[in-house]
This record gives sequence, structure tokens and C-alpha cells, in this order.
Amino acid sequence: MMLLPCPWCGPRNSTEFRYVGEAGPRPDPATVTPEQWRRYLYVHANPCGPVRETWYHRAGCRRYLSVERDTATNDVRSAVDTASAAAASSAPGDAR
Amino acid sequence: MSDTPIARGPVAVSPATVRDGWEVDARVATGTLTLSDESPLAKVHVRAPFDGASRAALGVGFGRTARADLGTGEVLVVGSGPGEWLVLGAPNTAGALRAAIEERLAGTGEFTTVLDLTHGRGLLRLTGREAATVLGGVCAIDFGDAVTPDGTALRSSLAAVVTDIVRDDQGGTPSYLLHVERSSGQYLADALLDPGRPSGLEVTGFRGLA
Ligand SMILES: [Zn+2]
Repeated sequence: MMLLPCPWCGPRNSTEFRYVGEAGPRPDPATVTPEQWRRYLYVHANPCGPVRETWYHRAGCRRYLSVERDTATNDVRSAVDTASAAAASSAPGDAR
Repeated sequence: MSDTPIARGPVAVSPATVRDGWEVDARVATGTLTLSDESPLAKVHVRAPFDGASRAALGVGFGRTARADLGTGEVLVVGSGPGEWLVLGAPNTAGALRAAIEERLAGTGEFTTVLDLTHGRGLLRLTGREAATVLGGVCAIDFGDAVTPDGTALRSSLAAVVTDIVRDDQGGTPSYLLHVERSSGQYLADALLDPGRPSGLEVTGFRGLA
């Protein structure tokens, strides 16, 4: 069993979540080329080690979370609400 | 005409009787561990900013419950999610309750939605000293008093069904309201009766909020 520490609900079984994917900056739809958009959607780094990814707590708070997880050990360094974090830094959201 | 049902809960009843226009189970349990279908209760869903004036107007935040009177008699206000509330009231008060909540939130100036979910959802109540043991058989949450005391609201997977779990003790006896999509109601009742059998879990008729 893999536990994810939801900032709203506390530690929960990962089966309560939907894995959305690696988080990264979303290209501007107005200027992006089809190739860049394809890479954004489908090409991922998939590292063996720390990665920032998005999870959706579908069976809990129904919020998107930004999670820093080590894919080799499953250690979770941080988990924050994606929308709240984006609002706090007033940077463009990177939920996909 | 008073014994002609105009609505049914999601759980099959036998024998049936009619209360407030709803077909409900006529059984009365004699044991101390009971499961009842509380679907006739009015269920109104509210969405508003997580931590604004609406939260103050509703009187409770995420993860907790409060009894209140919003103008339609006593209701149970449940902080069911971040920026999400579920308000439970007496049968056949959903329309008035929705209007009362809308009026209460109108003054906040916040963007809110108030929706009557009564006929789209199922609501069960599991009551008894061993209730936490029964829930523990189908859910990974710690139902001990230290973690989930009376007045706790949370959402989790219960027998693989996404369920709002609301602890609402009755006269000092642990009691849990379980709120699910209507189509999951019968399945969830069966999924609780099965592990509850060794503890003597019995079906009983509609009880209401009191
Ligand atoms: Zn959560």
C-alpha cells in the first residue's frame, strides 16, 4: 500500500487518488506549435528519483494536489493543493 | 391517499410502510447495532469559497458538523469538503431549506451554488457501539474517538464506494451517516450488512434527524 499525505484529508491510500501525471509548465495555447503541444501532453521525463507530479483526490476532497515524490522509494517530500499554491505564488497553474 | 408513496429510497424495503410520503422499512430492530435508510431526509448541497463569509454564515467548516435552525426547523450542517457543505433536514423540507440557504448566502456577495440533491442521493445511518468495527471492515480510516470524534465529517472510500462519512452520535451512542450516490445505496447497505452480521447488525426503519 502507498500512502499519500493529502493536505486536506490527511494520509490516505493511493487508491483514493487518480494519478494525473508529471507536473510542468503549460505552454501558451495561442502561440504553441502542434509539436510542442504533443510533447507537453505525451512526452514525460519519467525519472527514477524525485519528481513533481499532480494527483487528484477523487475519493476525498476532490482537489488537485502537487506532490513531490521519489519514484524509487515512494517517499513524499511535500503535497500541497495545486490551486492554493498557484494562487499564493500567483504563477500560472500547472495542473493538467 | 396518505399511504401511497410518492418517493422511495435506494434500499429495497420489506415489509414497507409510508412516512411523509416516502416508502420506508417497517421493521423495528430490537438489537443495539442498527442500519437504517435515512434517504427521506432533505439533502441540500452548497458550494462556496472555502474560507469566506459563506462559511461564517453556515457556521461550520470542512471536516466538522453543527446543528442549526436555518428557518425550516433543526438541520444538520456538514462541512463535507473544502468549499462544500451538505445540509440535512426533515423530510419534504428540501425546497424551503434550499430557499432559506440561498437567502442566507445572498448577503455574502460570494459566488455560491445551492442544490437540492434529495432524490439523487442515498443516506444510511449505522448506529451502535460496534459501528466503528463494522465500518473498519470496509474502510481504511481510523474510527477511534481520538481521530474521528462525534461531529467529524470526512469523505473516503467505503467498500470501494466514495462516501461522505458523518459521525453524528445519538444519545452518546456512536452513529454514522453515510451519504452516497443513490445508485450505490443498495450495494453499500449490503456491503455493511454482510460484515455486520457477526456483530448482530439489524435493519431498522427510518429514524429521522432527532
Ligand atoms: Zn484530500
